[in-house]
Amino acid sequence: MVQIVISSKAGEGPAEWLLVELQGEVVSRQNTGLAGNLMGDLHYTKEGVPVLIVGHHILYGKQVKLEKPFETMETNQENPTSYTVSALIKKKLIFKTRPKPIITNVPKKV
Amino acid sequence: MVHDLLESFIVMSVFFISLIIRGDKDEHAVLCNEDETYDLKIADTSNLLLFVPGCKTPDQLPDISASPQLVHAQIWGFSNCYWELRRQRPRLKKLKKLLMENPYDGPAVGMQEEAPGPKYTMDDLLERIQASREEIEAHLQNVHACEIDGFWRILDFDYEMKLLGHVTQLVDSESWSFSKVPLSVCLEELGSLEPKSMIEHCLNCYGRRYSNEDGQVIYALDEDKVCRATAQLLLQNAVKFNLSEFQEVWQQSVPEGMSARLDQLRGLALLDRSSKPETISLLRIEDLPEDTLERFNSLFSLREKWTQDDIEPYIQDLCGEKQTTGALLTKHARSSVQNGVKVYNSRRPIAT
Repeated sequence: MVQIVISSKAGEGPAEWLLVELQGEVVSRQNTGLAGNLMGDLHYTKEGVPVLIVGHHILYGKQVKLEKPFETMETNQENPTSYTVSALIKKKLIFKTRPKPIITNVPKKV
Repeated sequence: MVHDLLESFIVMSVFFISLIIRGDKDEHAVLCNEDETYDLKIADTSNLLLFVPGCKTPDQLPDISASPQLVHAQIWGFSNCYWELRRQRPRLKKLKKLLMENPYDGPAVGMQEEAPGPKYTMDDLLERIQASREEIEAHLQNVHACEIDGFWRILDFDYEMKLLGHVTQLVDSESWSFSKVPLSVCLEELGSLEPKSMIEHCLNCYGRRYSNEDGQVIYALDEDKVCRATAQLLLQNAVKFNLSEFQEVWQQSVPEGMSARLDQLRGLALLDRSSKPETISLLRIEDLPEDTLERFNSLFSLREKWTQDDIEPYIQDLCGEKQTTGALLTKHARSSVQNGVKVYNSRRPIAT
């Protein structure tokens, strides 16, 4: 039988990460892949509402505390049957509303 | 499956102490902490989950009275799936099965060494059983296993009864109260018959250990456990017994002063009050399948219709964290009323 040990890094507790949940898929404009690219801008309104701008779309979301927190784990390079907890996720920003296109140039009526 | 685990994955969990994932190649993986066991199930979502280390939420940002701030945050990665943990009862049937490969029936006689056979240390058991350490330790106690020379051994039942017999006979000859059995005298008087560690183990299994005012170690024998074991000894020798004959023999076999009562046999024996004469037979819960569906099939093939009272001891351990036996029955059985009594039968045709 395999026994895989999961431990958190000695000393400090795990870092806290934020989860951002989107409905749908994120693709890069020219299909160049996602890695290394700017995804978008995250803003918070005065009331604390998260606003995400991706490309020319704007999405409104909300902050939600996770009922069951997530933990992320990574394998140990030297020891494949051991994982270390890298982060703990207690809350998420979820964007469920339909993205609205941002129109910056409204032509004047002729 | 254990070999499906990805290089980095996300688990829903709430604790941080040492966690271990256990499972053979063909078993479903379970996650254990010190005293609990969880099923690991992969879940996926059509939503995109992005992980952003250190990203702050409004409550964590200082008041924006000053000029707007631009913070760079990197998305570490994304996923569509994650692992979900669900608390489950540990799979412990394998533990007894392993220990029964080589039960202990007393020290080797004369110059002979003990016959060779598989033996397991606690580490060996942790390697093979899908349960947490504490759950394994609790089950070892339930099956009256003991550690001999570093190996966990289950006692051969006849040997266990032999030890118990020595103890109860001594209690009788010394006219002790069942609740005041002194350890030191037991070891002194019985040490020549059996190893002292075995005598003490027997007392630990069948009694409650405490200290009296003088600091002496005393045991209070458990009437229910002693009577139950005596019943098993009698029942295992025949398929069925005439109930009233059995009750007579049973009462005569238990130590004088103890009362043998049928309620002591829940989960050990099954009564058939519909047959003439009424009968009783051995049916131990540990001999039944561990899987819920298989357990119900097995019970319904033994008997077509069960009352809740009769079936309850045989399904009690199947209940989930907040489940009742009633809920289990609603899910896995069909009820009807027979002679004014509510009975349960299988939802599907079973060969009897």
